[in-house]
Amino acid sequence: MTNALHISSGPHFRDRWTTSFIMHTVLLALLPSAVVGVLVYGLHALFIILASIVSAIGSEWIFCAITKRKLSITDGSAAVTGMMLALSLSPSVPIWIPIVGSAFAIIVVKCLFGGLGKNFVNPALAARCFLLISFGNAMTVFPLAADCVTSATPVALLAQGYTVNITQMFLGTTNGVIGSSVLALLVGGLILWGLDIIHGEICFSVLAGFTVMMGLFGGQGFDPEFLLAHLCGGGVVMGAFFMATDYTTSPVSRLGQLTYGCLIGVLGALFRIFGHSADSFSYSIIIANLFTPMIDTYIIPKPYAYRKAAIKKANHVPKVPFWQQIPKPVIALTLITLLAGVALSGAFAMTKDTIEEQKLAANAESYRAVCPEAVTFEGNKDAADAIAALEGGVYGTSFGRSYIHEAVIGRDASGEICGYVISVTNGGGYEGNIKFSVGIKPDGSLASIAFTELNETPGKGSKAAEPAFIDQFKNRAVKQLALNGAGDNGIDAISGATITSSAVVNGTNAALDFFRSVMQGGN
Amino acid sequence: MKDTFRGGVHPRERKSLSREMPLRVYNAVGEMVFPLAQHIGKPAKAIVKKGDTVTVGQCIAEADGFVSANVICSCSGKVKAVEKRRTISGAMQECVVVENDGLYTGTSDYSVRDNPDALSVEEIIARVKAAGIIGLGGAGFPTHVKLMPKTPLGVKYLIANGAECEPYITCNDQLMRAYSDEIIEGMEIVLKVFPNAEGVVAIESNKPEAIAAMEKAVQGHDRIRVMALRTKYPQGGERSLIKAIAGIDYPVTKLPADVGCIVDNVGTLYAIRQAVLYREPLFRHPLTVTGEAIANPCNFIVRDGTSFAELIQAAGGFKDGKEAVKILSGGPMMGVSVSSIDVPVTKTTNAITALTEDAVERAERQMTACLHCGRCTTVCPSGLMPQMMAEAAEIRDYDRYEKKLYGLDCVACGSCTYICPAKRPLTQTFKQIKAEIMARKRAAAAGGNK
Repeated sequence: MTNALHISSGPHFRDRWTTSFIMHTVLLALLPSAVVGVLVYGLHALFIILASIVSAIGSEWIFCAITKRKLSITDGSAAVTGMMLALSLSPSVPIWIPIVGSAFAIIVVKCLFGGLGKNFVNPALAARCFLLISFGNAMTVFPLAADCVTSATPVALLAQGYTVNITQMFLGTTNGVIGSSVLALLVGGLILWGLDIIHGEICFSVLAGFTVMMGLFGGQGFDPEFLLAHLCGGGVVMGAFFMATDYTTSPVSRLGQLTYGCLIGVLGALFRIFGHSADSFSYSIIIANLFTPMIDTYIIPKPYAYRKAAIKKANHVPKVPFWQQIPKPVIALTLITLLAGVALSGAFAMTKDTIEEQKLAANAESYRAVCPEAVTFEGNKDAADAIAALEGGVYGTSFGRSYIHEAVIGRDASGEICGYVISVTNGGGYEGNIKFSVGIKPDGSLASIAFTELNETPGKGSKAAEPAFIDQFKNRAVKQLALNGAGDNGIDAISGATITSSAVVNGTNAALDFFRSVMQGGN
Repeated sequence: MKDTFRGGVHPRERKSLSREMPLRVYNAVGEMVFPLAQHIGKPAKAIVKKGDTVTVGQCIAEADGFVSANVICSCSGKVKAVEKRRTISGAMQECVVVENDGLYTGTSDYSVRDNPDALSVEEIIARVKAAGIIGLGGAGFPTHVKLMPKTPLGVKYLIANGAECEPYITCNDQLMRAYSDEIIEGMEIVLKVFPNAEGVVAIESNKPEAIAAMEKAVQGHDRIRVMALRTKYPQGGERSLIKAIAGIDYPVTKLPADVGCIVDNVGTLYAIRQAVLYREPLFRHPLTVTGEAIANPCNFIVRDGTSFAELIQAAGGFKDGKEAVKILSGGPMMGVSVSSIDVPVTKTTNAITALTEDAVERAERQMTACLHCGRCTTVCPSGLMPQMMAEAAEIRDYDRYEKKLYGLDCVACGSCTYICPAKRPLTQTFKQIKAEIMARKRAAAAGGNK
């Protein structure tokens, strides 16, 4: 007989699963994609993962120590956040990126809002977006994978209308974030689903919503290859299985989870179709996170006994029409989502044409300006092939960041070649891109240039369009121009706007070089 | 119909400790204590006083009002006192204390069998009431009240509850194996009260021997069938059974009879048979003494009033080296932990479970903030939102708790607390908030009467 029996209110039995068990299982489920990431991208990826996890745990430890809270790092949630952040980073980021990101995720997004179960958006995603916005340059450089030739991510290529290698995307052997192996993510995600750790209602409604939206409005219909390429890229699988299913920031009720999942899928697809950011899926999840409290406020399922069918069975109440049984907030939410979608796509569709027209008009105008004798402009196969071979990349090595868009041949009223126009952009302007057309005479000498996009600093770089500067480019029979050069190829820089001047000279040189190496040779 | 309800959990069963131990009668030797409030409703009124001689089967406290029940003496001897004693709940309650002389002299040996066909419905109910029968499943609702619903003709199902979904407990399993014919006889008697009802014996699938025994016993009884239910807690809850068998969900404001169902524990049905056919009142019933701390876990037929300490001794006492840290009246899911083993067994005590490990204490160490994982929602047999209810309870938002979340429909089965990975004390919070809401309602009603 014992002296002190324990007294407590029932139940006196508990399930074996604990918070820390769940978190560590999620961590294990993320392991396959981490392993694939390290195998494909090398040791640096491993360092990023370790730095991110250590920083996450350390941040929580420091926060708990400073605020004198019970140490909560043993529950494993900080490690999961660190791991998820690392897997959504590019394998080439400097080591300080995951360290800063994890600290932001844990301290700002999680701990300051009350710790585990209190954050309003997914900490890992919030940190990722924070890093994207704050350290864009360091974040968006994707390295060359072992056997890959382009430097853009598959989703960026998709956006430009290129075809991508779906098998590589599925295996994760192409450019992307560390955790970009769809296969490994699926293995982990499906295990979590099988164990009932993540809700199928969320992950499958995300995928379904995304696929349907993409099929309807993606412009290529329900082409399996197109849909698969989009599903395999840009973190859709990662988002659906690991990010959207975060307990704290997703609704509790099944109906709420379905609504939330569809919202993510639909928004993700809209952003993918009409936006230009490869990171759009992160934003769609974060926006849905913000909708979660609203969903949980309005979608509260009634207990079984109070549902229409049960009441009818218990009391024999006459049948209520179906449309009256749908909760009003669901109708409202659906309408809001639809309206937002239609408005978004409508606004884009309207502005898209205008923007395109303006661009075309500007192009045509500038073409005529630099090649005034021409009546018609026609394309050139050699030039088109050479431009396609660039795949949107930088032209040459000695022209700064110059891109060649188009090269056309101008013909006069009698059908004779009267000049060439090359449309070129230099990214080295003070305010970013400067786009202009370079007119070249049949003999290969520079005729003139005309700007189509010049957004340089007013009063400084903007002077590039003034005759004092731009007229220097007229009728120069030289192979290359040199900024402030002393010889006959010299161009005087605009006073106080050397960067702008240099960008224009570089772009012009790129066009001249392109003409000589591709078009003149071809003719 | 499906063979189960929605939600629920599957705790470790631990029934193997005692499931093969046949029922054996244990006759107590010490003093016997009979609390006057063993049932739901008004406590009975003692009709004996100190010094009176009492015999087995004698009514020592009479039902006070309609919803109340007689208390029957289970031994012979002298009344030692009518005083407050500690009971299972830990509270001091009015009890009749009898010094047991160990002779068990009684007015009858209950061997004369009446012909059930000759008995009217009124006579059946009168005999059940006189026998002091209450629901032996745990709640202790007076059975004669249950037999008198507003519309007896509207009752479609008489459900014999042999689910026994609580972990550890096995006495009803053994009762069904040994007394299957008697239970069916009890059902036939109750079916006379409800002429339109079909009898269903509901047993969880983890008791194949009991299912086989009952299947054999229902041969030739056209109105009764046996139904094997999925092994899942709280399958033996009234609502779960009605959902599984009749397919009906009903709000907490209604009684089973309102939706055409009567649910009686198999032990109660056995007691009804004894009371109606042999005029034997309810003074003994099946009980399991079990748990890792017990030397020889077993199933008894015990006399009411026997102390826990004596029954633990009868089961071989505590195992050497296994310290009991927690002793429960009932099973681990809905049982009550007792502060002392010097408390008496009442009619509704179906098990004494002595645990060597306190899961609640461990849970308190493992507790974290709520993750919003939604497991509680998945397992709630009533379809409630325990996580939201807990949030509302925390800020004492009584209105939201009651009207928006239907919190009062919680049956306190404990499934949500069991499954919660964050180890939140959900059910405990709900019991507390329910008591607070009820108190506020009473206060409001009292205020309105001024």
